[in-house]
Amino acid sequence: MYAVEYFEVECPEPLGAEYYKQIANDVLLDHNLLRTIHKLHIYVDPGVPIFVAVGVLHKITSVVRVRDFAAVNPLAGKITLSLASETYLAPMLKIFLSRFGQDHVEQADRFTVVLRDVDVDPKEVEDIVVADPSESVFKDLIYALKCIAPEGFRVRRELYSKEKGKFYFVASEDTLAADVEALVRSKFDAMGEALP
Amino acid sequence: MMLVPVTYRGGVYRHNEIMDLIDDVGGYIVQKHVIASDVVLLCFMPKDDVDVLRAAAKPLGGEVIDSPLVGTEIAVVSMSLEIHHLPHPSCDIAEYIRRLGGKTNMVSLARGPGKRIAALNDEERDVINEHDAAIYLLGNFENCIQKKMPVLRRGINVPIVLCGGPDKEALQRIIDPPLDGYVGNVGRFMHRTKESEELGKLDEIIAETTRVLEKKRLAIAKDPISVSPARLMDIIKEKVPQILDVTSPTPLTVQMDGLRVKLPYDPFAGEIRALEIEDGIRIGDICELTPSRMRDYILLKIRPFSETNVVV
Repeated sequence: MYAVEYFEVECPEPLGAEYYKQIANDVLLDHNLLRTIHKLHIYVDPGVPIFVAVGVLHKITSVVRVRDFAAVNPLAGKITLSLASETYLAPMLKIFLSRFGQDHVEQADRFTVVLRDVDVDPKEVEDIVVADPSESVFKDLIYALKCIAPEGFRVRRELYSKEKGKFYFVASEDTLAADVEALVRSKFDAMGEALP
Repeated sequence: MMLVPVTYRGGVYRHNEIMDLIDDVGGYIVQKHVIASDVVLLCFMPKDDVDVLRAAAKPLGGEVIDSPLVGTEIAVVSMSLEIHHLPHPSCDIAEYIRRLGGKTNMVSLARGPGKRIAALNDEERDVINEHDAAIYLLGNFENCIQKKMPVLRRGINVPIVLCGGPDKEALQRIIDPPLDGYVGNVGRFMHRTKESEELGKLDEIIAETTRVLEKKRLAIAKDPISVSPARLMDIIKEKVPQILDVTSPTPLTVQMDGLRVKLPYDPFAGEIRALEIEDGIRIGDICELTPSRMRDYILLKIRPFSETNVVV
């Protein structure tokens, strides 16, 4: 399992930094993002006011296939899928409906999907890619950072470099300063990384 | 007759006897909760008869606890309804106070978040002022609290207990003029309060709120109100049967110096004013009824003895 290698919260008020570290930890844990993040540096200065989060993500190589969350049981002219979780049910049904057609796909209940009269190898059904987590990780990350940042900070700028796996998120309740990138760069420097 | 707020906890079995006893000795039941096979009665008892209630509760396996927050309505003021403040800590604190007998209402501000942009509008101000006390839940930074608190307290004339991330001494230092109560190290957090240290903080909020309300109670005692709010509650419940159709958990919310009647003002205010309490004294003679800013409820404030020359 991956872990966050670098996690720092910087703030002129030491007690505030301590609380924000706890908040960031709780939010990332709740959103299942702790395993995704490799390095994270947060800087909050309520005096300015500004909130900066810069970080590096782990490379996400895995994709979610049908076999990861469902058991595929072929039986006389039909294939029954028993799902362990509903998380990927909707995208899976969407793929099945477009590939096999509405007449061949039946959802018996929340956790059971039946494919009737389909000319496909069950192994092939197991290998169908249902979701690619790397596509939604940025959206999830920004949502989490919005929860971490102080609530009144509604003027935001964010950047995500999918190739380099780096991101930054800047928020304030005032207009962002023109040289805000210099601040972001200094926070990347503190982590030993370069601005993407 | 001095009434004291207590809570009875026991089983459903023979709890009617306890209710009859409270009624017989001249006490009032403010709220009754039946939770599965348990019964919780929030009530006011004559001070001398609390031991009688304790003795009656013993064979039934019940207990009687002093609950200074019974009969108070407290505003828990949260800066917004966003995930930043709810459900933790706002709901945790509001719910904890409810467990100890206080009636809490959550007031979330439309423009509460932020430092420079925080504001309190007239409706929020009036709603907070309808309560016995307000608990302000602010964030983690001294700088923000110092800057926004003067705006958020403007026009508030009920006691304020301030909760914030900095420690209590820091809060006392940055707030000028001082507030009524402070609880430090309870700022914004994003997890449920279940560790013993966090529960200790909730207890600290209760203790501080109780202290602040006790001070208010003493101030009221110097010029006593003309009738007990609990007695008014009983009279309205008896004489205005429509109140029994209100589905709210507390159709009549007892406050320290009044009542919130959860009936529409226009059709019912006149009827309530005309209700006789005793010896020809009507509610309208010793109470002020105004439309509440909360929905279209009626807010009833009992005038003090110095104004009415009557105590019933």
